[in-house]
Amino acid sequence: MPLDFEFTKEQEDIRSTVREFAEKYIAPKVVEFEEKQEIPIEITREMARLGLFGILFSEKYDGLGLDPVTAGIVLEEIVRADITFSLAVAYLVHTSWGYVAYKYGSDDFREDVIRKAARGDLWVGIATTEPGAGSDLVGITTTAKKNGDGYVISGEKAYISGVREAREKDAWFELGGGHVTLAYTDKTKQHKGMSLFFVPLTDPNITIRLEKEFGRKGWSFGSFVLNNVRVPETYRIGDEGRGFYIAMEGFDHARAYIALACAVGGKRAIELAAEYAKQRRAFGEPVATFQGIQFQLADNWARLEAAHALAYKALWALKMEQEGRIGRFEVTKIAASAKLFAVQAAKAAIDDALRWYGAYGYTEENPVALALKAVKSYDWAEGSLDIMRLIVAREVLGKEYIARRR
Amino acid sequence: MSAIPVNIVVLVKPVVDPKAVVRFRPDGTIDRSAVKLVVNPYDKYAVEASIQLKEKLGGKVVGVAMAPPHAVDALREVLAMGVDEVVLLSDPRLAGSDTLATSYALSLAVKKIEQELGIVDLVLCGIESSDSNTGHIGPEVGEWLGIPSVSYVDKILEIHDGYAVVKRLIEGGYSVMKVKLPAVLSVAGTSYQPRIPSLREVLAARRKHIDVWNADAVGLDPSLVGLVGSPTRVVRMWRIEIRRRGKIFTDSDVDVAIEKLISELKKDGVSLGV
Repeated sequence: MPLDFEFTKEQEDIRSTVREFAEKYIAPKVVEFEEKQEIPIEITREMARLGLFGILFSEKYDGLGLDPVTAGIVLEEIVRADITFSLAVAYLVHTSWGYVAYKYGSDDFREDVIRKAARGDLWVGIATTEPGAGSDLVGITTTAKKNGDGYVISGEKAYISGVREAREKDAWFELGGGHVTLAYTDKTKQHKGMSLFFVPLTDPNITIRLEKEFGRKGWSFGSFVLNNVRVPETYRIGDEGRGFYIAMEGFDHARAYIALACAVGGKRAIELAAEYAKQRRAFGEPVATFQGIQFQLADNWARLEAAHALAYKALWALKMEQEGRIGRFEVTKIAASAKLFAVQAAKAAIDDALRWYGAYGYTEENPVALALKAVKSYDWAEGSLDIMRLIVAREVLGKEYIARRR
Repeated sequence: MSAIPVNIVVLVKPVVDPKAVVRFRPDGTIDRSAVKLVVNPYDKYAVEASIQLKEKLGGKVVGVAMAPPHAVDALREVLAMGVDEVVLLSDPRLAGSDTLATSYALSLAVKKIEQELGIVDLVLCGIESSDSNTGHIGPEVGEWLGIPSVSYVDKILEIHDGYAVVKRLIEGGYSVMKVKLPAVLSVAGTSYQPRIPSLREVLAARRKHIDVWNADAVGLDPSLVGLVGSPTRVVRMWRIEIRRRGKIFTDSDVDVAIEKLISELKKDGVSLGV
């Protein structure tokens, strides 16, 4: 296949449509996201109407049947309009984990849940982390016990995005939402005893608690306790014992989108700060004329260009994997590399760009300051940077060099 | 009263994307080779009006554009919005047409569509184009077709008994007019905010066929189009630098400053309505 950086006409049409929407509906409201700590409901509803929550699902289940590269184009336009990343979280978590749930869910599950997710009537989140386990997922304590024709799940999930939006019906989504939740079906088998379940957060046996988030405050972040939550067997995503592996696949998706969001958010921050630097004068000149700023701009931009291309390579790899043309571990390596590189590139770029504002950089009205707080979340979300390093090293060195559990 | 369907032709002009960075050739004309074409933003209000009328009354909406062949991509957008079909009138002989020649060609396209549909009740267009801003096309098409035209239409209030009642913007207010159909309406104002189509509609529009008609297809007289048919001559193009002369009144007493400001404005002939 030839190397080609061009997008198709369909993709360009989609980009211009989403850009028009984002400029009209999202951009004017972004400062409110952070102040009110929520996204206006009409925004998620309008995103649902446009079909933005159904990109990867097949047309059979009311999706658009498009590929991860096209999903990335939509994400780019969302991030360009909202560099607080609140909507990026809403979009990329649903897109990644909704897709994994769709891929491994049964036909009954697709009919019941995926169709609603594709229409944007229901949001799909991810819940693996717990108060006592994040990077070391074997340490989770949530359990799912087989009971008749379903499972009963108990435990606690922590630092989870979208708990409020999934909890409330008739709000951001008509039916609220649910989280793809990792639990032990057989604790003795460690990671081979884990399974994934779709857990509606509207269940009365769930209680949620919200954290005070450091940034990207428009999309909630918190924990939920499952107290004997019953889900039907059809809500199990993939076979028993495959949960850990399917979760790893979902992380690959999410990491590719995060890399793209960081690259685009970083570039947007540079653009905004550069505009300011053309206006702001010091020592008799616009500060943009100073090489101290220009060299920072160029170094950061070059890194962000690389991050941008690598992020699209990761999305392309996911598409190739869907077509059976590239192996699982190769995708994992590219996606982890993309996240590892793009998060650092974005953090450095936004940090530098913010300084071009002078003291105005240190205010909460400054969107670039909000972006800095937002990208910080990707030191952890969907796999910490050190876990990315371990993955890349493992894939390059070989599995026999994985450090032993002590 | 039962709704009687209306057939509408909506005129759309592909223009250089107003948000794009435009480069000028040495002779002062726009370099159109590398720029993206989009539907004239003003025409999208007319498209929205057409679709709303169709949704309310039924009937068919046909879009007509006159442009070079590569403009076809820009027309997908109005198909996605809900226009039933789009025709692109494209012929090298049309190159260089001014508004008189363009309106002649468009009027023949409207006639051809009328033959196919049996009747065209309304011809809608934007109030002007974002690239040349003449505002001529609507009224001129009306003249060529021998039917009435109304410009600055803010809202189409009702359609019945062979008439349309429209709210028309005038300086300082509006007037309500009754116009006999068929008629040409140039739609202005913000009553018809163009809808953003869903991605499903966008993808479906990409798969639709767009008819391309040449000059012969509409039976036009070649002497009335192109440079030969255009009485308008572009003699020279140049860039105008608009300089703003800010004046700051520094009086510590605000009332004094305001008085000075008002007298300055009056001196410049600005009507303050007092």
